[in-house]
Amino acid sequence: MKVSTMKGGAADLASPGSAAWNSVVGESVSLGAIPAAAQPTAYIREAWAKRAYASTSSAKVAAVSDGDRLYVRIEWPDDAKANGEFPDGAGVVFPGAANSAVETLGSASAPVGLWCWQAGRDEALDIESRGPGVFRRQAGDGVKAAAALAGGKWTVVLSGPAAAAKGGKLGVVVWNGSNEERAGLGAVSKSWLGLEQA
Amino acid sequence: MTETAAHQIAWVYDLNKCIGCQTCSVACKVLWTRDEGEKHEWWCSVNTQPGLGTPKGWETMGGGADPETGAPKVGHQPTREEFGGGFDFNYYEVFYGGTAGKAHLEPQGSRENRWAMNWDEDQGAGEWPNSYYFYLPRMCNHCTNPVCVQACATGALSKREDGLVLRDEDACLGDRFCMEACPYKKIYFNYERHVAQQCIGCFPRIEAGVAPACVRQCPGRAVFVGWLEDETSAVSRLVNEWKVALPLHGEAGTKPNVYYVPPLSPYRLKEDMSIDYEQPRIPPEYLESLFGPEVHGALATVKGEMEKVREGGSSELMKTLIAYKWQELLGPFTRDPVELTPSAAG
Repeated sequence: MKVSTMKGGAADLASPGSAAWNSVVGESVSLGAIPAAAQPTAYIREAWAKRAYASTSSAKVAAVSDGDRLYVRIEWPDDAKANGEFPDGAGVVFPGAANSAVETLGSASAPVGLWCWQAGRDEALDIESRGPGVFRRQAGDGVKAAAALAGGKWTVVLSGPAAAAKGGKLGVVVWNGSNEERAGLGAVSKSWLGLEQA
Repeated sequence: MTETAAHQIAWVYDLNKCIGCQTCSVACKVLWTRDEGEKHEWWCSVNTQPGLGTPKGWETMGGGADPETGAPKVGHQPTREEFGGGFDFNYYEVFYGGTAGKAHLEPQGSRENRWAMNWDEDQGAGEWPNSYYFYLPRMCNHCTNPVCVQACATGALSKREDGLVLRDEDACLGDRFCMEACPYKKIYFNYERHVAQQCIGCFPRIEAGVAPACVRQCPGRAVFVGWLEDETSAVSRLVNEWKVALPLHGEAGTKPNVYYVPPLSPYRLKEDMSIDYEQPRIPPEYLESLFGPEVHGALATVKGEMEKVREGGSSELMKTLIAYKWQELLGPFTRDPVELTPSAAG
């Protein structure tokens, strides 16, 4: 995926509906489930062995840098079913090691970084993930998020230090709250998306 | 995988002495759950049995573990509606609104499906003149087999060496698998701070030698605390020696560390209103559904010891349950909290 550099447009880029995104070419990313057998606790494995999750099949992803910060926009169709308990959410995944796997959200020996947004939550989360749902907050380094729900579609922009992209690839994860998706139950990129300077 | 603790703190509630006054609930509330998002949280709560309790219908929500294999059982995560509570009241209208005699104090918002802690107080069961109920205080059971700890993906929960199950709220990301797994449904979700929360066993007080608030504040002298492995402690003697204190829903497989002396029952009244000394008003099978088949032996022991005292004898068990000196309830945690100096952190 090409990452263009757009100087001076930071304020606009942070907004999901900004016209600054009009010229940015995104890519459709195929999403899949982390198998129940790979979930981190016996309870989760048992509870979700026969339940469908990772219900979002694809998302549209675009990225822009202003030199200091990386802005990643994720769009996907909203499942409008009501669930007052669990929020919809989305995240951007970065490799934490050379052999980090996006499709499992990292592992104990090869973690990934995760910028995370949840509907209804003011702050974005900066997380280190060592496997599906094996999340730990890390000292936030200015990760921010803004979201819009319109026309049956979520548009979320997550942003953070441009250095996060130094591994040259990213992935995404989408949680459908109405299906009680959280932790390692979200729909995850099936492979890394390579980044190249536009 | 069962985590074992070097020690195990345990509670014993004597349901024959609990008067349902909610002093334990309020003592806990004012100490621990007055912050953002905690309005609906009652880490200690007293409900009328039989009843739907809090969260509404918790006994049918599943969770726990297979007692033999330890394998987790899937449970339901109680919703905010099922917990209920957290109401705003019309204080201004009642006290300052010029509506004296007309407006009455009530929760604001829709009346539909309204529920809260102790919502079905004193409803009980049975038909007059043989209706019955009793009070059941509940809190986190700080289980020996804490399925909440095992269910958590982030490692936010742990069992300490003193047996308390505690949560690192900084590590909790609000996934709520713990709430599903807990068979007692005594974990709340803070919708403002996005973390789950439950009884912390008053650990700062325990560490300072002060009994938990629910124990120290009980005006009925109905609750004991102490080390379960200390054979001389009241909790150990009630649980292990006399076997009159039993776990609630032990079949849930988590080995809870809150125990209950089951309630003695008044006798049924016959149609002519004479007493039927053969029939207890609380159905024994109902008590068995709560405390297991051991409940019959426990009640027989308590009755036998009461009879012994009535006949002029002496009973260590009765002396313990009566607790002539209230400090006897506190186990080793006898320090007066007024002696504590607030920390610099406040």
